[in-house]
Amino acid sequence: MKFPLACPAFALAITLTLASCGGGGKATFPINVTVSGLQYPGLILSTNGQDLTINPPAKAGADVTGVFPNPLEYGQTYEVVPQGATVVNHAATGGAQPKHQNCSSTLFPPYGTAGQLAKIDIRFVCSILAYPLTGNVVGLTGTGLVLANGSTAATVGVNPNLDANKNPQNVPFAMNAVPYNTTYGVTVLTQPTGQTCTVTGGANGTGGGTMDDAAEPNGVNNLVVTCTSS
Amino acid sequence: MKSSILRAGVVALACALGLSACGGGSGDLYLAGAVYNVTEDGLVLTNNGGNDTAVVAPYTSFQFSNRVSTDDQFDIKVKSVPSNVEKIEDCTVNNGHARANYYTIGQVSVTCKIRQRKLTASIVNLKGSGLVIINGSDKQTIPADTTTWPMASVSEGAAYGVTVLQQPTGQTCTVSGDGITNSNGTGIMGKTEATTVTVTCNP
Repeated sequence: MKFPLACPAFALAITLTLASCGGGGKATFPINVTVSGLQYPGLILSTNGQDLTINPPAKAGADVTGVFPNPLEYGQTYEVVPQGATVVNHAATGGAQPKHQNCSSTLFPPYGTAGQLAKIDIRFVCSILAYPLTGNVVGLTGTGLVLANGSTAATVGVNPNLDANKNPQNVPFAMNAVPYNTTYGVTVLTQPTGQTCTVTGGANGTGGGTMDDAAEPNGVNNLVVTCTSS
Repeated sequence: MKSSILRAGVVALACALGLSACGGGSGDLYLAGAVYNVTEDGLVLTNNGGNDTAVVAPYTSFQFSNRVSTDDQFDIKVKSVPSNVEKIEDCTVNNGHARANYYTIGQVSVTCKIRQRKLTASIVNLKGSGLVIINGSDKQTIPADTTTWPMASVSEGAAYGVTVLQQPTGQTCTVSGDGITNSNGTGIMGKTEATTVTVTCNP
């Protein structure tokens, strides 16, 4: 008499156990993102038809983490790129980058298949864009001219094939690129033989300025170093 | 008789092969690496206490002349440093101690810390506010009535060039040197802490 009662109870127990173990579906894999070095807004990451806006951290220098709204199921592939980027062979260029910065995921691959790794954690590292600082040397006849931009940039010697030229002529020069929001001030470190050179141009007219919004995206290209016989 | 000669020959051959494989300097792996923050002669590296190797211009890499074989222990140390590096410990070898294989020999690098020297701006006759002077990316806003102001330190042997980014209200300032180490606020940082530039404001 007892046995027939126990049987349905047992069956019910099994059913409950199965339901609780199954979790109601397959394992899912959230797409986590960690972004380092982000300073300006504008970064939107994209994968599997989802977008994730990444804003700069409240505390400067901190990493920013985010999770895409919908997790992936086992076996689904993903490739996280800045929204609208051109992807060739898993290398993304362009897309929704933050202002004045470029973020890339060169350290860890931003693509894969859900389930490959226990946890999906995409890493992006952002760097500040640097812009050209260039100009022309006018009237140069002597050799040995060296220009400097403070201490941060390497000194730049004018091409020796050009500066020994007998005929005064314009000689283009390029200093090291200057990061956004950084000041520059070009000075003459070494005067050429028999000449004295002065620097003009730049934002303040005397070879100095800040690589600001006005200088984007082409940089500062109006420096003029004028050399006269001394 | 015959077999003992043969055996001796085989042993001798095996010895010769063994020696050539393990002997110093005749392996097939070049022990090399990247060098960071070195700007002049003077950095000398050793491997296992010998094979002194000087890092020369453009000071971006080194390579020991003696090759090593797979599984040889290598131990790269700094023997001497350039004169603009304070002490031996300021040049560090990364991943310099390991057994040689294609992976480990590609992981070695040497990074030095160049001695930093003070750069001071001497300010003359500044009455107004708004003066901003810069040394490249080092930006300093100078309050009115300032007479001396420290700029960011500069690596010994590196260039500096102080200029006026923004003039103060009602005055015009120009940068000149101290007449000894620099004449126009621009020069190469020397081996002393006494480098100054002078900013003179008029009227």
